[in-house]
Amino acid sequence: MAEFFTTNLIEYVSLSEAWATPLGYILAAMIHIALLLNVVAVGALGFIWLERKVAGRIQDRLGPTRVGGRFGWLQTLADGLKLITKEDLMPAAADPFLFRVAPYVAFCASFAAYLALPFATGWVGQHLNVAVFFILAVLGIEVFGVILAGYGSASKWSLFGAMREAAQVVSYEVPLGLCVIVPVMIAGTMDLIAIGDMQAGMVWNWFIFHDPFTFITFWVFFTCATASVNRAPFDLAEAESELVAGFHTEYSGLRWSFFFMAEYGSMFLVSVLAAILFFGGWNGPIPITEIIGLNETNGALAGYVGNLLGMTNLIIKASLGVTVMIWVRWSFPRLRIDQVITTCLKYCTPIAAMMFLGAALWILYLPGGLWATLRLSDPLGHTREAAPDQQAAAMPADGERE
Amino acid sequence: MDQINWHTFFFLLSALGACTFALMVVFTSNIVRMAFFLVLSLTSTAGLFFLAGADFVGAMQIMIYVGGTMVLLVFGVMLTAQERFVSLKTSGGTWSLAALAGGALLAVLLQTAFSVDDWKAGDTAQAGQSQTTATRIGLGLLGARFDEGTSGYLLPFEIVSIHLLVVLIGAAYLARAKRRAKPSADNPADRSD
Amino acid sequence: MSTDVDDPRIVEFDVRTDEMLVNMGPQHPSTHGVLRLVLRTDGEIVSEVTPHIGYLHRCAEKIGENLTPRQWIPYTDRMDYLAGMNMNLGWSLTVEKLLNYELPEKARHLRVIIAELNRIASHFVGMGAYGLDLGTFSPFLYAFREREKILDLFEDACGARLTYSYITPGGATDDLPAGWLKKCETFLDQLLAVIDECHTLLTTNEIFIRRTVNVGVLSPEMAINYGCTGPVLRGSGVDHDLRRDGEERYTEMYDGYAFEVICETDGHYPSDHDYPPVPESAVLGDCWHRFYVRMLEVIQAMDLIRQAMDRYSTAEGDYGVPIKLFEKLPKGEVYLETECPRGQMGFYLVSDGTSIPWRTRARSSCFSNLSVTEELCRGVLLADVPAVVGSLDIVMGEIDR
Repeated sequence: MAEFFTTNLIEYVSLSEAWATPLGYILAAMIHIALLLNVVAVGALGFIWLERKVAGRIQDRLGPTRVGGRFGWLQTLADGLKLITKEDLMPAAADPFLFRVAPYVAFCASFAAYLALPFATGWVGQHLNVAVFFILAVLGIEVFGVILAGYGSASKWSLFGAMREAAQVVSYEVPLGLCVIVPVMIAGTMDLIAIGDMQAGMVWNWFIFHDPFTFITFWVFFTCATASVNRAPFDLAEAESELVAGFHTEYSGLRWSFFFMAEYGSMFLVSVLAAILFFGGWNGPIPITEIIGLNETNGALAGYVGNLLGMTNLIIKASLGVTVMIWVRWSFPRLRIDQVITTCLKYCTPIAAMMFLGAALWILYLPGGLWATLRLSDPLGHTREAAPDQQAAAMPADGERE
Repeated sequence: MDQINWHTFFFLLSALGACTFALMVVFTSNIVRMAFFLVLSLTSTAGLFFLAGADFVGAMQIMIYVGGTMVLLVFGVMLTAQERFVSLKTSGGTWSLAALAGGALLAVLLQTAFSVDDWKAGDTAQAGQSQTTATRIGLGLLGARFDEGTSGYLLPFEIVSIHLLVVLIGAAYLARAKRRAKPSADNPADRSD
Repeated sequence: MSTDVDDPRIVEFDVRTDEMLVNMGPQHPSTHGVLRLVLRTDGEIVSEVTPHIGYLHRCAEKIGENLTPRQWIPYTDRMDYLAGMNMNLGWSLTVEKLLNYELPEKARHLRVIIAELNRIASHFVGMGAYGLDLGTFSPFLYAFREREKILDLFEDACGARLTYSYITPGGATDDLPAGWLKKCETFLDQLLAVIDECHTLLTTNEIFIRRTVNVGVLSPEMAINYGCTGPVLRGSGVDHDLRRDGEERYTEMYDGYAFEVICETDGHYPSDHDYPPVPESAVLGDCWHRFYVRMLEVIQAMDLIRQAMDRYSTAEGDYGVPIKLFEKLPKGEVYLETECPRGQMGFYLVSDGTSIPWRTRARSSCFSNLSVTEELCRGVLLADVPAVVGSLDIVMGEIDR
């Protein structure tokens, strides 16, 4: 895209090459950033609306119905406008720098993870071959914003909330990491695009159906992901009935909405991650795009449309994941902090470890997965490819297989 | 004006960030802000790793240093941020001593840095090779470095793992809830869930 | 209550560095009303809880010295405002006891219907708000949806939704309107399904059980020593219900009615209905049992209402015309306790022979129930404090009067 801008700037605006090149790069970068930022922002807009509607329906009421027509589409926008116009309060005893910077840290952590998140083959902010690891690492930074908010608010209640959340998120990084390693092991790579592409074809190519261990791993992953993003039943950081609002008690207006957006951004992020790692990513249950010929081999436009459909597919799957999180939030009571940590250390971590062991043994003894061993194929004649043999990859790299 | 070398630009940006935040760590007197600036400094260092093509190590830097160590540091800092600890002012004598030590180290490093005639990009400059960084590290740790002809780093890996286990057990032992001499109704340690 | 933490200004200068003095309330989403709890915590573990009350004191008892009994009825409404009918009933029975008044049969059955209906409404609030304290939002709204139906029935009967002033000395202000009984029956028929829903979401929910079982265990001896009554007492296994064991003038209201006192006797609860099972880890006297007793009392109340509706239709007499506004009260003093949803509410009336009492006093059940908080909250985690206080189901209007 940068070359596109550069050449056009030189041609039409008749800038010299020395000026056009950096400008082209800057324009390209800004478009990428704007696209990604909109995923988070518009996504948050949509999911907050969805949360209010789903919560309303579960509670036998309607949810927003006025702003933006019968279904209240624009309710979140109206709320955002209201929040922007609110008074910017800060407690007198608060540390001004940390108090102000905390929401930005939380939001940036949540947003930065989208850099490595692909939405279709080739459609990714930055194609990292350690994408999974990078996303997990950056998600762990979100807790900083929380700790700084809790400390900077100079309120005991906020401090309580921040401490609880920090303990919770740090504890749950362990089983989360273990669960994520299982599909990485099956795929043999941490590159999310490669993982997504490996699940092309029929629904039984999805990693969740690869072996029973991965199936269980998904449920553990979902639980740990819910705990990582502080959703009920693990939401004691914002436990309203105990701590008023936990670490963001003292925040109002736009500062608070940054935390809010960070939360929904993270929810969507882990849902997309789950969809790519376990549910085939942008590959549907049936390879429609291949059947009707919408892929690269038929031209750029066909490839683009095929990718677009794939991206829509992925977003639908992730939205389902977010809906399940919302559903769980409005159904269950909240766990106490010691019960949360108990769940992590006594249940999630051992189960995740056992699943890791089981999946590793499965790959070792049934290298192609059950389907390849039974020589199943889908209607298009694809057989499930054997997972990359680890030892074969150890041979001197010719750069093409990871 | 010549074409901007984006690589250099971002390198300078990250390096500037790392150095500036490190300096701010030293010069600020509020302990929690110190911890925060250290976070930013380490993140900039991770940026340097990414620029060098070491994706895996960069992500590792974020996860371990930024995520892990700093959370613990901030925890400890905050829990001790009592009235008398929040502001740590250093006296003039300490400053001059620190400047001396730091200056000496800086001189040594600069001299070493400029003594290298040709900073090689190395034969790992191409993107294709960097894609296998994670695999190579993993195989190296398992002791299967066929390409290098060495035996890998399995022994150090195992030593570090055992060491980590010992440290964890020691920490858990030190932090255990100490039982009181006589059991009392309000001893939280006796409370079972 | 301890005396060394009662100066609210000394909050920050605690010498020990590992203890915190934390203030919960008076404005707080989970203290039921304006209650201030000062907690002394060591990190997450609470070592001491000191309730501070009085934020809702409105001098109701003093005002009672200037009004006739019928004029004081609205003040009783506003004590336990969630169970206004029961408050009215308690006071009316007290005045009738002083006057030695004979109620018509129909009035008696009318009072049973209304009192038990209000018991259901009050338990719904307590149960829903308890879920809210623990973080589950949906049962709160289901409970309130059903409570809305009850409030609609009450609005039909007396015109008010919360502060009824319906049951007066002598009977009630007016009879039930035509068609009311039919509506009430329709309501009761669909209530059981909702209660089953609430059981699934709360009573038998694993997370709820984990939050409430073995938390805030109140032994029967302590309950009796502190004067706890109502579901708090019965949840600890003490079989005492004023509707069966109380004074003649109160128990004759329930004369001939078949109902089970909800209490665990000989290790099991009454089995006249299909109640959800008691989890094995539940300890008698913990928050779960107190919650369970309230849920089961709702079903018993439904039984009572059905029986009362039958008898009301066939009873003789009228709804009980209220006594004269300035009826002269005979000289003397009476005290009567009734079984209100939250416990035993007592009214004490001293009369000096005129139409205006010389002293009116309300004995609040929640006051005694709240006093046991400090004992229960010793050594619990911070998150357990709303669980314990919520299980006591207190209403500040009644405590502060």
